[in-house]
Formats: sequence, structure tokens, C-alpha cells
Amino acid sequence: MRMIPLLLSLMLLGLAPVQAEDGPVEIVRGTLDGLFEDIDANREEYQAEPALLQDEVRDRLLPHIDTVYSGRLVLGRHGRGIETERIEEFAEAMSELLIQRFATGLLEFRSRDQVEVLPLAGDNTERMTRVRTRIRLDSGSRAPVDFVFRKRDGQWRVFDVIVEGISYVATFRNQIGEEIRRDGFDRLLERLKAGEVEIEFDE
Amino acid sequence: MKRLLILLFAAGLVAGCATTAAPPEERDPRDPWEPFNRSVYQFNRGVDRAMLRPVARGYDTVTPQPVQRGVGNFFTNLRSPVTIVNLLLQGRPGDSGRAFERFFVNTVFGVAGLFDVASAGGLERYNADFGQTMATWGWESSRYLMLPFLGPSTVRDGFGRVADAPLNPEWYLALEQASYYLLALDIIQTRAALLPRDADLEAAFDEYLFLRDAWLQRREFLIHGDDAPLPDYDDFLDDDEDW
Repeated sequence: MRMIPLLLSLMLLGLAPVQAEDGPVEIVRGTLDGLFEDIDANREEYQAEPALLQDEVRDRLLPHIDTVYSGRLVLGRHGRGIETERIEEFAEAMSELLIQRFATGLLEFRSRDQVEVLPLAGDNTERMTRVRTRIRLDSGSRAPVDFVFRKRDGQWRVFDVIVEGISYVATFRNQIGEEIRRDGFDRLLERLKAGEVEIEFDE
Repeated sequence: MKRLLILLFAAGLVAGCATTAAPPEERDPRDPWEPFNRSVYQFNRGVDRAMLRPVARGYDTVTPQPVQRGVGNFFTNLRSPVTIVNLLLQGRPGDSGRAFERFFVNTVFGVAGLFDVASAGGLERYNADFGQTMATWGWESSRYLMLPFLGPSTVRDGFGRVADAPLNPEWYLALEQASYYLLALDIIQTRAALLPRDADLEAAFDEYLFLRDAWLQRREFLIHGDDAPLPDYDDFLDDDEDW
């Protein structure tokens, strides 16, 4: 039973290779389309076993996330003097948390049409771009969710998500800073990896 | 009643000593009164735990979801005069007109606002108050201020609330007619809607900072809308690192 979605997802991954020249909007649109298609096909399995969906979301999202840059932004000067390896560990644990929350939220959508990807607007540069999306809620109102991209080594990757104006990086940064100030980096990393640290992710 | 308040206040102050604010030089420049604000926050949480949350839980248990949505819609609609006037004061007559249209449609066809028929018909909801209006007039950044009972605010938005009160029927009734039913129902409904978020708040490493950061960012977003600036990412990085 478990093998079928796994095989399916491997096939889907094979069919949609990551293209280096994709722009941020195409990345968001393509990733969302793929995810929703997959969820529509396997909704029952995912509802029964959320871990499967998390694996799926991780496989699809991780290539498009600049985890280390995100981690550096969140750590700021607290990252000073800590080995690169430990920082990468921290960045990975942090993105894992985001992926888990994202996967939980995804199941609540009934249709792809609830998410609208807007064309680029505003002050985007060649190095940084903000892709705006709108999520239609049951109440009829639309919640803005923005993905902030950064270009490094010729590839666009997400490093921040902004939900209704609330930045994941900025909010997490202050929490983390306070925790490191009181308990130190090692203790924090331990807690983060154990899944004891939580962050808000609005749906 | 008075004795209860004093008790709660004392409990809040004692709890306030348990958490430590960062030393002044490490504080967020937007929150220079952090120690005071933290005490008020502890007090508010005390009131919440002792009275508001239990009442909201009871209400949530006995009130079906559709009814709760109706009550929430009703109060959103009741605040429309505040929105309409402030959009006008912000120099957005078009938006103000659409907000009025919403108010009219929901009051007449939505049974006094119980049903948000306007949103269903594509008329989006606006959010405007006098604090935001003063921000557009030039008072852009203001000190964070935790208000007793009322929660997160800034000095500017605190004044804003006072200015908006006469335009809001529930506050008008409470302040001028000493009739508190509407206000009480609104508070309980609002709190009940927030019950699912309690877990998020309690899971935060530092509740106070979490609420403050989220609230300030959200406020910034309400003031600037889609033009809200991105966080200053370059400033987040360690100066010694080359990225």
C-alpha cells in the first residue's frame, strides 16, 4: 500500500525535472500545480498518513528553498563562531518545521482554484523577487501569501514566506534570538531537531 | 468585582517578575518600554486565564459554528462606519464608497449584517481605523504599548481607538449609555474565534515577543497594504559574513 504513492511520486518527479532557468513565478506556479495534482490523486492516503504527504512536500519544495540563507538570516549575529556544519543542521531543521506546517495546511484546501498566483509587481530586482499569491478562504475573503526569492548561483530559491504581512524569517528570528540569549545555541538546536520548537503558520 | 481586579493585577505583577526583558541596549527600538509592557501582558494573560478564556470556551461549546460566524459578521458590519470614515480621511474616496456599498448590502440583504453576502458577491472587506489614518498622515512609527484589557497597540493606535469609539455603536453604547451587552458579546465571540490559536501562542518560546512581532508586522501590513516593505534582510545578516 505504501509503495504506490511512493512510486507515483517518483514518477512525477521524473516527469518534472527542475529547470535551472525557471523564473520565480514559474517555480511557484509549477510547484503548486504539481502538489495539488498529487494531493487530488492521493487525498485519502495522505489524510490517513500525514507523514507520506510531508515526504512528498519535502521532495518537491526542498530543491527550491535556500535553507542556509534562511538560517543565516534567522541566526544573525548569533551564528557567529558556530561551525558551518552546525548552521546547516540548524537550517535544515528549521525548513523541516516549515515543510511540516505547509503539508498540514495543504490538506485543508479543497481545490487548486483557491490559490491564485499574481503576476510580478512592485520593486523586484535581479537578485530578489517577491511572488504574491492569494488564498481564498471559506469566508470569501482572500489571504495574501508571498514567497520571497533570491538568486544565487544562477538559481532562484525561496528564503522567506510572508503570510498576511507576517514574515516567517522575521518572526522566527526574534524567537530564536531570545532562546539563544537565554539557553544557548546547542540547546536550541537540540529542541528544534526534537520537534519541540513551534512557529505560527497562518492558513 | 473590584477586589477580584486587584487580586488579578497583583498576580499579574508577580508573574511579570518571572520573565526577563532583554537589557536596554538589546531591546527592539520599537519597544523601549518592554519591561512595563511585559507586566501588562502578564496581567492581561491573567485576566484571560481566569475569566475570558473559560467564558469563551463555554460559549464556543454551546454555540454552533454557523451562529458564531453570523455573530462575527454582525460585529464586522457594525464597525463599518469606522472603516468608511477612515478610508475617506485617508484620501481613498473610491474604497470608502465600496465600503459603504458593502455596509448597505450586508445590512439590508444580509439581515443586519449576520450574513456577509457582499464578500460572497466579490465586494472585499476593508480594514481601516484612525490609527492607520494617522499613519498615512505621517505618524508612521510609534512606540509599542500593551494596553490593559485591550491588548497590543502603539501610542498612536491607542489614541486612534479613542477617536474611533464614537463611530462604533458598541463602544458608543458602552461609554454613553452604560450598556455593555453588545461589547461583551463581541469580546467573547472574538476570543472564541482565537481559541484555536492558543496552542500556537503557548508553543512560542517567548509569548510576549511572539505576539509583539506578529502584531507589529500585521499592523504594518494593514497600513501599507500590498506596498508593505519587505523586512530589511541585509540588516538581519551578521556583518562579518559575506553573502
